Amino acid sequence: MAEEDGDFQRDEPHPDDREDPVSGELRDRVRLAVIKIAESEAGKYGMEVSQPVVSCIADLAFKFTEQLAKDLELFMQHGGRKSVNMEDVIISAHRNEDLAATLRSFSKDLKEQEPQAEKKRKKAAKKDEKIVLD
Amino acid sequence: MADNPFDAETVHEIFKLVWRRKTQDRERGESTDDLQNEAVGGASKKRRRPTTANANALKLSCELLRIFVAEAVQRAAIIAEAEGLEKVEATHLERVLPQLLLDF
Repeated sequence: MAEEDGDFQRDEPHPDDREDPVSGELRDRVRLAVIKIAESEAGKYGMEVSQPVVSCIADLAFKFTEQLAKDLELFMQHGGRKSVNMEDVIISAHRNEDLAATLRSFSKDLKEQEPQAEKKRKKAAKKDEKIVLD
Repeated sequence: MADNPFDAETVHEIFKLVWRRKTQDRERGESTDDLQNEAVGGASKKRRRPTTANANALKLSCELLRIFVAEAVQRAAIIAEAEGLEKVEATHLERVLPQLLLDF
């Protein structure tokens, strides 16, 4: 296992992980995702990514997710709701307009993929058909 | 839409970790997070239901995470490329980190 991953080894729990036994597994999953994205993005420049860089970004990504969780909970509570929704995620990116816009656009696509939205579209499509046929 | 290596379940588990910790800290009366206490309603000592997130919010969070990682790599790669190198090293990442963290 350790051989494939260069000089990466995790025998000790991560210093930040207090009493959480699950964190190790989650950090590993984050690391795997980071490796895939890093190889794909660097590949576009014809480059490789060094092991320390992967580890650092993986650590950052995990911390980012933890911070995101805190922010989302805060926005949700501020909005008087009981569960986090897409608006909360979009607001979390408020410091970067471009990022917020990208997320908003992605969120619209997600909404359109929902079953209810599909029904509405099919109804609208049928109406249009009728008009054309008449 | 290309498949995101970050899956909603993993992100959800990390969220739950954090939300569980917060609930435990609050119950132990250890929470010095005034913002959190205010938002929750400091006077209530009732046990609160743990926070949840809807499926789309999780998918969107995955996308946000993916963009974060992609940006980190891209920005560092640009620096490495400018130096005529073929490998992205720590010094390249170091240089882009401040702005990256400000942007996210």
